[in-house]
Amino acid sequence: MVDVCIIGSGAGASPIAYELANAGFSVVVLEKGQNYTEKDFNKDEIAVTRRDMFTPPLWEQKHIINEYKADGTFTRYDGEKSDWSFWNGSMVGGSSNLMSGYFHRLKPNDFQLKSVYGAIKGANVVDWPISYEELEPYYDKVEKVVGVSGKIVKHKHLEPRSSADLPYPELQTNGAVQWFDRTCKALGYEAIPTPRAILSQNALGRDGCYYSNFCGSYGCASGAKGSGRAALLQKCSAKIITDAFVYRLESDDKKVTRAYYYTKNGIRHSVQAKIFVVAAQAIETSRLLLNSKNRYFPNGLANSSGEVGKNLIFSAGGSGSGRFVFEQLTPQQQKELMEVGVFFNRSLQDWYAYEKEKKQYKGGTIDFLFEHQNIISRVMREVYDENGNLLWGENLKEKLHKRLTTSRVLTFEVFNDWLPTDKCFVGVDEKVKDKYGVPVGVINLYGHPHDLEVGEHLAQKAVKVLEKLGCEEISYSISSAPPPNLVAGGCRFGNDAKTSVLDKNCKAHDLENLYVSDASFMPTGGSVPYTWSIYANSFRVADILKKELQKDEV
Amino acid sequence: MTFSRRNFLKAGFLSSAVFIMNGCSLFGVTTPLQTLSLLHKDLFPYAQELGIQTAPYMQIIFHQSRISDADKTFLKNGVKWLNEAGIKKYKQEYIKLSSKQREALLERVTQTEWGDSFVYDVMNYMFEAMLGDPVYGGNNKEAGWQWLDFEGGQPRPQKAYM
Repeated sequence: MVDVCIIGSGAGASPIAYELANAGFSVVVLEKGQNYTEKDFNKDEIAVTRRDMFTPPLWEQKHIINEYKADGTFTRYDGEKSDWSFWNGSMVGGSSNLMSGYFHRLKPNDFQLKSVYGAIKGANVVDWPISYEELEPYYDKVEKVVGVSGKIVKHKHLEPRSSADLPYPELQTNGAVQWFDRTCKALGYEAIPTPRAILSQNALGRDGCYYSNFCGSYGCASGAKGSGRAALLQKCSAKIITDAFVYRLESDDKKVTRAYYYTKNGIRHSVQAKIFVVAAQAIETSRLLLNSKNRYFPNGLANSSGEVGKNLIFSAGGSGSGRFVFEQLTPQQQKELMEVGVFFNRSLQDWYAYEKEKKQYKGGTIDFLFEHQNIISRVMREVYDENGNLLWGENLKEKLHKRLTTSRVLTFEVFNDWLPTDKCFVGVDEKVKDKYGVPVGVINLYGHPHDLEVGEHLAQKAVKVLEKLGCEEISYSISSAPPPNLVAGGCRFGNDAKTSVLDKNCKAHDLENLYVSDASFMPTGGSVPYTWSIYANSFRVADILKKELQKDEV
Repeated sequence: MTFSRRNFLKAGFLSSAVFIMNGCSLFGVTTPLQTLSLLHKDLFPYAQELGIQTAPYMQIIFHQSRISDADKTFLKNGVKWLNEAGIKKYKQEYIKLSSKQREALLERVTQTEWGDSFVYDVMNYMFEAMLGDPVYGGNNKEAGWQWLDFEGGQPRPQKAYM
């Protein structure tokens, strides 16, 4: 029997493996996907982003998706038939290998959304059982151990910090960033260098960023990107078992006793441990618990509250873009604009909280970045004319050359709270099974109208920046479409065992040795990408587990 | 528990016969490769001027396990429908039409739902060949990238994926 068995190996899992293995405890990590190292990663657009080599094919593993309307009716989609994937990165280190690493902390008010902003009709907003102050030391730890680069500048929504600045200097940026900074200043906005989980120099036994020109969606070949694999798992003695799909946890009435997993060839194995930690990414974590029902927990493991799978959240908001065209720029500016590899790295948080018509709103974050360099995708976005007719031949040739060599698109992403509701939750479909013969997860989706209102407010601010910058073809889309890589909730933590799955330590209320450490614990998600908070909370849970295991030793 | 494997399309798919019908009668026979090769030339002749052959890449597409059978079948059906549209309009298969007739036929079919989807899909794979990494056999000497002043990302793949 090992001390700790962790299911999953991404941002929620790797800090626990790292901390406990380095403290001398025996740790086994069960990962469904394969292991890759820096040597395995390349920038093959066809394999990585067009054939999705790091996620399971949908005909082998899929989800059922129910898209709800406000009146409670829904449309059912079969993930395979509708080509709708919620997989993010089935590999050691999980989707943290493929993230862009836009790292923002939550802010103190994110921990007490209900107390500060009040209840919202139709939404299940609650305060967190911990405060920002309790998580702050772990945000700080992530900066130093995983590695966060950038520069802290004071602004009205800057959260309290125990370290004055980030430990690694800013990554190099494109010359157009200066235009952006000047523009924001003229508008009275506070442009912030975006903190990135990317090392800007050799450190922590890893190589610094080499400006590969392809970052988000791709694995990092230098180890600069702070994936759970590069930053943590490769630096500890935790035993990682790949090709291990955990399909059931066995328990008695008090403890989880065994994790069962299948290999891709259908061979069944199991692991016994003193403590089990589930971190399979939010949807799959709830699915595993629901699929692990037994005589003691007939509605799913740790589900006496009926809350497992409930209050699934994503990041609300959307994205937009504008195009810099050579005709509006000096030759020097044209040259600066087309410099590739270096980053844009600017964010706005001026409206993280705002007032509109005498009402206080929780707002969000806007990140600015250049359009991804993927050339095939950029070309395919140009094959229609303005009337929606396909182009080909000489017309297409001329358009492609002009668009791709004399203009560049600046995009923005809006992050605001996806309010938890009764209509957004995870279930399982007993009749639809994956290639392992295990019931697939059902993702029930609903976006609260309030999310759209806030997203719209933020997008309009971003549009003002693009307009002032002189961009053309400015457009944006704020919608309830869920970003599959920004998912949380389903096992919210709280002090009341009747209304939450986990206690404040992320231990299941119902069981003595079951913890959940991915983003499932989050009752509300804040208005930033989740990864930094997942890492920080996982380091926090690691400290709790260390104390538990040390108690055991005594 | 069973591990059902998909029956992937067999090696000869691209050169297998596509039966072209004129109403209820058999009009002729072509292969996906014949039609797609010509279609690539019609849609983006500049690829050839750059020394890039895009049609052979379709062999990879028809063997790619990550591309669904439904998508492969749609391509094959599109070849059939395009040729049948040629027969309906000009009494000849697409591959036997003059370049002016083919251009006019493309204008016509891309106004239909199937035609728009089919031509879009064909272009999608054609540009993968032209602008994907040269390891896939297209994008000869990175000519496609150079034309668009594109630098690619590093490191490059050492071998084609699957």
